Amino acid sequence: MQLIATIRAPSLPRSALTFAIGALMSLPASAATQQELEAQLAGLAGEVATLKSELARVSQEQKNSMTALAAVPVQVIGETATPASSAGADSGLDFFGYGQVDYARPKDNPSDTTATVSRFVVGMSNQFDEKTRLVSELEIENAVSSADDPGEVEVEQLYIERSFDDRLFGKVGLFLIPSGLLNENHEPTRFYGVFRNRVETAIIPTTWREGGMLLQGSTDFGLRWDAGLTTGFDLSKWDPTSPEGKESPLGSIHQEMALAKASDMSGVFALNYTGIPGLRIGASIFSGDAAQGQLGFDDNVVTLWEAHGTWTPGRFEFAALYANGHISNTSKVNLTFIGNPTLIPESFYGWYGQAAYNLLDWDENSLRPFVRFERLNTASNYSDLSPGLTPENGPDQDIITSGVNFLFAQGVVLKADYQHFHGTGGSDQINFGMGYQF
Amino acid sequence: MADADRGVFGLMGAAALMMPATVVVAADYLTIDAAQKSIFPSADSFEPFVFAITAEQRSTIAALAGAQPPHGALRVWKASKDGTPWGFVLLDEVIGRSDLITYAIGVAPDGALTPVEILSYRESHGAEIRNAAWRRQFANRHDLSELEFRTDIKNISGATLSSEHVTQGVRWLLALWATVLHQPPSHP
Repeated sequence: MQLIATIRAPSLPRSALTFAIGALMSLPASAATQQELEAQLAGLAGEVATLKSELARVSQEQKNSMTALAAVPVQVIGETATPASSAGADSGLDFFGYGQVDYARPKDNPSDTTATVSRFVVGMSNQFDEKTRLVSELEIENAVSSADDPGEVEVEQLYIERSFDDRLFGKVGLFLIPSGLLNENHEPTRFYGVFRNRVETAIIPTTWREGGMLLQGSTDFGLRWDAGLTTGFDLSKWDPTSPEGKESPLGSIHQEMALAKASDMSGVFALNYTGIPGLRIGASIFSGDAAQGQLGFDDNVVTLWEAHGTWTPGRFEFAALYANGHISNTSKVNLTFIGNPTLIPESFYGWYGQAAYNLLDWDENSLRPFVRFERLNTASNYSDLSPGLTPENGPDQDIITSGVNFLFAQGVVLKADYQHFHGTGGSDQINFGMGYQF
Repeated sequence: MADADRGVFGLMGAAALMMPATVVVAADYLTIDAAQKSIFPSADSFEPFVFAITAEQRSTIAALAGAQPPHGALRVWKASKDGTPWGFVLLDEVIGRSDLITYAIGVAPDGALTPVEILSYRESHGAEIRNAAWRRQFANRHDLSELEFRTDIKNISGATLSSEHVTQGVRWLLALWATVLHQPPSHP
């Protein structure tokens, strides 16, 4: 931090010194005896010495004062903070990031225990001018990315943001879709539990980003709106032989702007109200044709809508979300998939409720236990084929997650939780994790 | 045009209707002058205030304020009305998510805070911090014990970092006022 201030240097000593020297030079020699002149000179020399001493003292005081001012807030604040910007505000270039290391141990199948660097993300933003900036994020998932390793390297965000006025921003490029509570706030310090909740993973395919353009506006009473025209899903990516579509219908057909098919664009609209401190309620809808002009696909409109809310009375923190997805005209495509294990569902949904409590709060530390109940169904309905061919609807899956987040050091979190699964066929598991954000 | 495409253009049309009729290009929401007048409307003078901080005072402020985000520039003005001290206006900058937020707050002679004014917000993420209701939470608080984030000053879901960092910044400013500004140096 810099302290912007001005100090006016006292001008009197320097003026007095100049005046004294001037007076000495202009003494009329003829008006005094040699002895008187010598006495006057001695007196003036003494005064000059005094003034020099005074000038030196004032200069030192001023220097000391400036040193104190220059040292004030930067050092004081720096003692307790980790700089978030390595490049500094003046250059316009900033770096940021987050990361997550996880350990998951299934109760009934310990041999399936895994430990991984789930995410390592480096972000960079650059302020081109006061109204225009670049935001980018590069992500490595699961540590190593190669043909023989499970990792991935992804450009998670890459967009230019422009401020049009004090209430309106525009984005163009690859950006996060304003859907749900997690998608735009997915850093590990910002959600409860070692892993992201299942509803905002399987139903809303977090981290969900699309390419296109988006406008974001807000009002002084706390209403924010987002409206955008973006790329969408590609139903021709559906693999009926893979279980991926059952795990996350939209996650299996999203394109992440990797040579995305873009003959059919989608639209997104979201509203969020935060006008009452501690309360947030909102909803969003995303809709667009996923046929993308591909042979055998026609008018396969994907629509995903959701509603959400958070409320923080005192030390409590409550959150809830409902999401519902629909894909139209799936029968024709599914008839070509008969005999395969994973057909395209017509609808899928999920919801959760979560409660957290700020149990202990001291210095920079916070201990927050939480519990979350989720119910989701990734194939709650299939469109009719013919008798005997239409698949059974998928089962509701319930997940209860209880655990604790321990936040410390302004952006670091340690997590532990226990997950109980019902209806998924999966084993309960215990998870530990570390996350950070800067 | 497919139904979906019609839906898309309908959404965009609705968005266009919500846009302001005239777009004014400006990076800052408030000028310094406007912020000063908004903070102390009755004051008729805002003089830049120069001060020095000793190492001991620095330690005291840090201990009182608690954890801090990275800060930018700090400026201080002494407000007065007809020569009567009216309080201090403190302008500070803190990191939001990845960029600086410029904000200002007033401290009356009795230590009462005014609402926070946001002068500049440079990124769309977390822009909800400009909500009037959120900024008013600071008004008439006197003590650092009344400035606890989440309990006293509520979090904005989706703008957590911005709301937390501004709250921490205000804590630092109030600690500065209590340690230095409220007890001016004894030397002339």
